[in-house]
Amino acid sequence: MSIASTIVQNTPIFGKMFSVDKSTGLEEINAWPALMIMASFVWLAVAGLLGLVMPATQLFALDTSWFYMTLTLHGAALSFPFGFQLMVGVGLHRSGGCVGKPVTGWLPALTFITMNLGAALLTVAVLMGLSVSAVVFYPLPLVGAKMGVWSMSSVVLGFTGIYLVLASMILAYPILVIKMMFFGKKREDLVLSERTLNDPGMLGMILASLTLLIAGAPLVVVGTIVMGVLYGIVPASMVAWALEPVVFQYAFYIFAHNMMEAMALMITSAMYATLPLYLADGTRKLFSDKLANLALWVLLLTSITSFLHHFITMYPSQPAMLSYWGNIMSWGTGIGAAITIFSVFATIWQHGLRAEPGIIAVLMGWTLYILDGASAIITSNVAWAYVLHGTMWQSGHFMTVIFSMSLMWMGVFYHHYPVMTGRKLDPVLGAWFVRLASIGGIGAALVMLAGGSAGMPRRYAAWNQEGWMLYGNLLVIFGLIIAASFIVYAYSLMKSRDISSPVGRQVAAA
Amino acid sequence: MLDFLFTGWGAFWMMLVMVVPFGLMFYYVIYRKSVVDSGPSPTPRSKLSRLEGYWLSAAFVIFVGVNLASLKFMPLIAAANASTSGEPLQEISLTATSWAYDISNRQIEAGKPVRFSGKALDTQHGFAVYHPDGRLLFTMLMMPGLTKSTTVIHTFKDPGTYKVRCLEYCGIAHHAMADELTVVKSN
Repeated sequence: MSIASTIVQNTPIFGKMFSVDKSTGLEEINAWPALMIMASFVWLAVAGLLGLVMPATQLFALDTSWFYMTLTLHGAALSFPFGFQLMVGVGLHRSGGCVGKPVTGWLPALTFITMNLGAALLTVAVLMGLSVSAVVFYPLPLVGAKMGVWSMSSVVLGFTGIYLVLASMILAYPILVIKMMFFGKKREDLVLSERTLNDPGMLGMILASLTLLIAGAPLVVVGTIVMGVLYGIVPASMVAWALEPVVFQYAFYIFAHNMMEAMALMITSAMYATLPLYLADGTRKLFSDKLANLALWVLLLTSITSFLHHFITMYPSQPAMLSYWGNIMSWGTGIGAAITIFSVFATIWQHGLRAEPGIIAVLMGWTLYILDGASAIITSNVAWAYVLHGTMWQSGHFMTVIFSMSLMWMGVFYHHYPVMTGRKLDPVLGAWFVRLASIGGIGAALVMLAGGSAGMPRRYAAWNQEGWMLYGNLLVIFGLIIAASFIVYAYSLMKSRDISSPVGRQVAAA
Repeated sequence: MLDFLFTGWGAFWMMLVMVVPFGLMFYYVIYRKSVVDSGPSPTPRSKLSRLEGYWLSAAFVIFVGVNLASLKFMPLIAAANASTSGEPLQEISLTATSWAYDISNRQIEAGKPVRFSGKALDTQHGFAVYHPDGRLLFTMLMMPGLTKSTTVIHTFKDPGTYKVRCLEYCGIAHHAMADELTVVKSN
């Protein structure tokens, strides 16, 4: 039995939800993905609680340092060990089943260990006082240590954690996907639904992996140098160029921005793969594979350099030309989204839809993603950037992009769950999950965007100014609805039944 | 109309203009094709292809239209115009250090353009100016170590007390990093 299966099986509470079906001979594509997905849900539980603590510190006027601590942990836990790891887990299972290659060996183990160990170290560092937000804001960590706000040991520990997380995302995972796609022998016994790289359901996987690897390379170089200096291996005077804030920030955003775009490519691809399986007439074909692939290519080509929009308000240190370029490329991603919208609607219009909870979760997540995309291109326009940058608008954009993609992956996982575990989920609970997640997600997004429109600052422990607490109160309400949706999802995983036994309405009918 | 569009609430309105039609279309297509009639559609493929052309053309028109309309409201364009017009500017230089600003002059005349030039000395800071009615007028991102100052040229219309806040997270007293500017009637 795989070590990953053993860990899942022996984990209290969560183990029951994700234990792998060993009777099908598919353990080699199920075990590590199941462990990663389980770990992502553990981090979701942590991130969810912290997410509610954040506004609570404002409502009950608690010490502001609590706000910044929970802000850092919530953002980091939700983005990386939850959102990204969920994507990795479900994506690897999909890839294995599409190309007939096992997800085994040291690479999946390394991906899992670096992600979770890194996130755990960062958590400890934040608990030691390192409140730098998920974006790090280099050189803030060093400035804070110099001012005595947090210790240098927390900085070293925190950077080590971040470095491990980045190693997982930029190196281990993309190399694993590339290895599965291009190397090794296909095993027919592992093929669930064969796909080639020309298939829109697979193309996004490889584009996303290459994006992570290439866009992350500068950050690996700069991060390695920073680590070398922190551990006293490299003298700071020798690598002063890499320690410049502007170098770190550009390296960081080339990666961080494209990480989000890579996740978008991957989930769009997963949607292109999943949607045809739920077409009412059994066609199992998109309206047009070429159109779907075009959307992925447009998204890739426009998104790579659109990260420049993060520095528009730094004029003239970022030349105007680069800001205009970031503006136009960001709006170019909207053309990719427009193609995807047409492709999805035309597919459903032509062939009808079997509205099951998994695919509806995917489509509702995609709806939120479109809402988020609109907010993203608006804030990328140079004129709007000057009145939105640094406000809750951008928190709303960040939260929505993570939440929408997570909702889509949870829908895709809903589809893969029976193959992975040998059990099926109650559709009634699934429908409630989708309802609550949609209401909570759309509500929270609109409230945060409205807060940003009203000038409410992000990452700010004083909402009790200018009437901004109204947005905080509404955020708590929608946050609780999102929390309820996750509880319903977890409950439905807990109550999953053997594929052969009746569930939900079938039980009621019996 | 355009003056409103390129404000914070104008951005929210624009977002709704993009998203609400999509939401309605989403609801219509899903409801119609999964509840009312999930059978194959008789719509010919040629008609869908024509629709595809209209749809992508509309997206392109919005893309070009909005970005062209925004040119007038881009502070970068205002800065470029100011440097060539020779119009006299009120100059304000500022430095930001955790968690306070050092501002060369906190009193400004309304109706005359002001050039704010800012630098951060320790970590990243923002310099966001709010109208007395609570609207965010503009924000600047300042990063330490840069040779050039971050600049914005802005003309204040209304006299009053304008709040300044840091919008770039700068540590545990980030929310306390604030200041004020006073805008007086022009002589």
